[in-house]
Amino acid sequence: MARKTIVTLVLAAALVVAGAAFAQPKTVDYPGLGMTPGKVGGTLTLGLADSPPTFLYYGQIDNNTQTLTGVVFDPLVEFNLETYAIEPALAASWDVSPDGTVYTFHLRQGVKWHDGTPFTSADVVFTYTQIIANPEARAGDAAAFVFTVDGEQRPVTFAAPDDSTVVMTLPAPAAAFLLQQRFPMLPKHKLLPFSVEGGAEQADINNAWSTATPLSDVVGTGPFMYDTYVPGQKVGLVRNPNYWKVDAAGTSLPYADRLDYLIVRGNEAQAAQFLAGNLATLNISGAQFPDFKSREVAGADFRVVTSPALFGSPPHLAFNFDDPEFSAVFSDVAFRRAMERAVDRQRIIDDVYNGLAEIPGTPTAPADGTFYEDTKSLMLPFDLTEAGAALDALGIKDTDGNGVRNVPSGKDLEFSLTYNSDSSTYTDMATILQNDFSKIGVKANLVGVQGSALLSTGLAGDYQAIIIALGNQPDPELRKPIWQPGGSLYYWHRSTQPAEPGGPPNFAAMADWEKRIYDIFDQGTTLVDRDARVALYKEWQRINAEKVPVIMIAKPANIAAVHNSVGNFVYNLGVIPGYNPVPLYFVK
Amino acid sequence: MFAYLLRRVLMMLPTILLVSVVCFVVIQAAPGSFTDRYLEDPRMGPDAVARINAQLGLDRPLYEQYLRWVGGIVTRLDFGYSFFANRPVSTVIGERLFWTIVVAGITMLFSWLVAVPLGIFTALRRNGFTDAIASFIGYVGLAVPDFLIALLLIALVLQTGGTQVGGLFSPKYIGAAWSWDKFLDFLNHMWIPILAIGTSGVASVMRQMRANLLDVLNADYVRTARSKGLSERRVINRHAVRTAINPLVSMLGLSLPELINGTIIASIVLNLPTIGPLLYDSLLAKDQYVAMSLLLLASALLIVGNLLADLALAWIDPRIRYD
Repeated sequence: MARKTIVTLVLAAALVVAGAAFAQPKTVDYPGLGMTPGKVGGTLTLGLADSPPTFLYYGQIDNNTQTLTGVVFDPLVEFNLETYAIEPALAASWDVSPDGTVYTFHLRQGVKWHDGTPFTSADVVFTYTQIIANPEARAGDAAAFVFTVDGEQRPVTFAAPDDSTVVMTLPAPAAAFLLQQRFPMLPKHKLLPFSVEGGAEQADINNAWSTATPLSDVVGTGPFMYDTYVPGQKVGLVRNPNYWKVDAAGTSLPYADRLDYLIVRGNEAQAAQFLAGNLATLNISGAQFPDFKSREVAGADFRVVTSPALFGSPPHLAFNFDDPEFSAVFSDVAFRRAMERAVDRQRIIDDVYNGLAEIPGTPTAPADGTFYEDTKSLMLPFDLTEAGAALDALGIKDTDGNGVRNVPSGKDLEFSLTYNSDSSTYTDMATILQNDFSKIGVKANLVGVQGSALLSTGLAGDYQAIIIALGNQPDPELRKPIWQPGGSLYYWHRSTQPAEPGGPPNFAAMADWEKRIYDIFDQGTTLVDRDARVALYKEWQRINAEKVPVIMIAKPANIAAVHNSVGNFVYNLGVIPGYNPVPLYFVK
Repeated sequence: MFAYLLRRVLMMLPTILLVSVVCFVVIQAAPGSFTDRYLEDPRMGPDAVARINAQLGLDRPLYEQYLRWVGGIVTRLDFGYSFFANRPVSTVIGERLFWTIVVAGITMLFSWLVAVPLGIFTALRRNGFTDAIASFIGYVGLAVPDFLIALLLIALVLQTGGTQVGGLFSPKYIGAAWSWDKFLDFLNHMWIPILAIGTSGVASVMRQMRANLLDVLNADYVRTARSKGLSERRVINRHAVRTAINPLVSMLGLSLPELINGTIIASIVLNLPTIGPLLYDSLLAKDQYVAMSLLLLASALLIVGNLLADLALAWIDPRIRYD
C-alpha cells in the first residue's frame, strides 16, 4: 500500500513537473503551403540587411530590429500563414463582448521567458501600458489606444484580473482591434527600470536594450533566443527548447538548432553571399529573377519560388492636386482618367517585373481573399489614341505647335515626374511612363530622389507627379492614414488635411467622392459586422477605380531563391508582426 | 623641440574648432531630417514626429544644437548621441574601431611594402621594360576605382566556386573564439580587401617613390658618394633612398584620415564591419551627431597625422630641426 502511494506520488510529481516544463502547445500545420514534418537540428543562415540599431522593438522603426524581433518575441495573436486569418499565439483564446468593446484574452499556460521566468498577464499589461501606449516610445503605437469619442479623447484601459487573463476595455468598438494586437510582448522583470512604473521618465524606454546590452537580458518567449552579436557581422540565435508550437507529428518547433543572421549590406552583396552558399534563402526582385532562374535551370543547388503577395508595396502614379501650376488640371478626374490610358501596366509587368507582377487592386491586393474587389473592368486599358482624344476633349491641345500640349491657360503641359532613383525597377518604370507620355504630347521631366527621401518629398508637396509604392495590409483599416482624405499620408491632396494636427479635416477641399471615401473609412473603423465592412471597402475600391485619386500600376509577386538544403520554405518579408514562418524551416 | 610641439598643438585647437563649425553647417545644409524616416510608418502621426523632434533636441535653434555638441566634447569628451542607435556616438564608433584599424593597417602595410621597393626598382631601371610594365599596372591601379576591383574579385571567387564573397570570416567563425582555423579563414577572406583597397595605394606610393628617387639620383652628393668609391648598393640604400623617402613620410601622415573615409564604397561592397559604411549611413539618415563626429574625427586625424609626419621627418632627417 505504502509503495503504491509512493509510486502514485512520484507519478503525480512527474506530471506536475511535466506540466510546468511544457507549455500548452499550439499545433501548426500548413499542408496547403507544402509543409511536411521536418528534421530537427542544424544551422540556418539567413541574411540581415544591416546591424540592428537596438534590440528593443519599440525603440526604433527599423527593418532589422523588426526581423530579429519576429523570431525572439511573440504577440498575443498572429496570422495564419496561408489564409491571413487571426489565430491564437500567446493568447490561447479570447472573448469579445457583444457590443465589441471588451476583449478578454486567456493567456497560454506554462509559457516562460527565455531566462525561465513565467510569462503572465502582468507582462502583457506592462508591455501595453508602459511601452506600446507610451507616447514617447519611438516605435510605440500610442495613437491606436486613444479613441476620439464625441470629440473627446478616451484611452483603452488594461486590466489583469488573474495571472492568465488580460481584459482590454475600449471606449468604442473598433473593427480591426484584434488584428492590431500583433505587438511583440516584452518581459516586465527586465524592462521595469526603464518604465514610468519603475520610476523612469517616459522617454527613457528608448534607452532600454541598446545593442550594447548583455544578450542574457534580452529575453522573449519566441522560437529562438539571442546567443551572440558581432556588430556589423552576425546575430547568432539558438533554439528555444521550451517553445509552445508543435508540428502535426507532435515535434516541437523550431526545427533548427541554430539560426544565424549574417549581416550583409546591399542586394548585390546578398546575392553573392547566397550564390556562394552562405545564405540559405534570399528574397529577390523581378529584375533579379532571370539571372537566378537561369542558374537554377543550369543545375544550381537552389530553386526559385514565386507566390502572389498580400503584403508588399504596389507602385502608383500620383498627380499633385494642390500643384501651384496645374492644380485645376491634376485635380480633374477626367484628366487623370486620360492619363491612366497612357500608363502601360502590362508592359511594366512584362518588362520591368519580368512578368512577376499582376494588375493591382485599387488598391487592395488581389491575394486578399476578404477585402479585394476586382476592379479590372473599371480600370482603363493602355491606349494612346484614346488618351490623346480624351485630352483633346478637355481642351488640352497643342496650340502653339511645339509638340507639347497646352493647358487652357496656354501653358505647356510640362511637369516633373519624381521617382526613387535608388532602384532600377523604378527608374525603368519612370522611363516607360515618360516615353509614352511624350507620344501624346505630354512632357514629363524625370527627377530622381533617394528612396529614403521619396515619401517626405510627397508629404511636403514638393513634386508635380510622383511614383510611390505604399504597402498593402490584410485590413484597409490599417492603411487608413494613406487612403482616407485628410489622412496624414493622403499626400496627393494635402489641402484636405486638418489645419491643426488632430483637428477635423478640411471638408471644404474635398470632392464629393472624397467625402464618400472619408465616410467609408469613418464607418469602417467602428462597424463590427464584418460583411457590412467588406461591402463598404469594396465600394471604396470601386470609387478609387473610377475617380483614380492615384493610378495604380502593378502588384509585384513575392520571389525568393531557396537552397535545396532548406525544407518547408514559406516566403517571409521578415518585418510583418505576427507573420513568421522561420520556425517551420528546417535543414535537410 | 618641446616648445615647437606645444605651439603646434595649440595651433591645432582653433583649426579643429573651425572644422567643427564647417562639419555642422555641412550636415545642416543637407536636405531632409532624421525624423523623415518616421513619416512612412502608419503608427506615427505628425504630432508623434514632433514629440520625437523635441526628444532629440531637433526643435532647438541651430546655434544651440551646435554649442551643446561642442560643449559636450570639450567638457566631457561626449560626442553626442546617435539618434538611430539610442546610445552615445563614442560607443557606436568604438565597436567598429578595432576592425577598421586592422583592415586599414593591413592594407596600408601591404601597399607600402609592395610600393616602396617597386618604386626604387623602377627608378633604377628607368624607361626599361620592367619600368613600363610596373608603371602601366600602377596607372591602371590608380585609374580603376577600388570598389570595381572588389566587385571583379567577388565575381572571380564566385566563378571559381569559392565562398569568401565579402566580410572577414565565414559565418561559422563569426563570434567564435580565435583558433588556427579561424585565422586561416580570416586570411582567406582578407586577401580580397588587401588587393582591392591596397592596389590603388600601391600605385600612388610607387609613383611618388620613383619620382623622388629619380630626383635624388642626379644630385651632386650621390655623384660624390659614387666617386668616393662606395658600392652602388651602399650609394642607393644609404644615400639616395634615405633622402628620397622623406616626402613619403608626409604622405603617410596625410593618409591617416583614410581610416575613416578612405574606403567607404569598397567597404560597403565587401561588407566589411568598418567605420566607412557607418559614415555613409549616418549621412543618408541624417544621424547628425554620428556624421559630424566622424567628419570631425577625420579632420582631427589629418591635423594630427600632419604633426606626426613633421615630427618623424625631424627624427629621420638630420637637416630638419624645429628649434
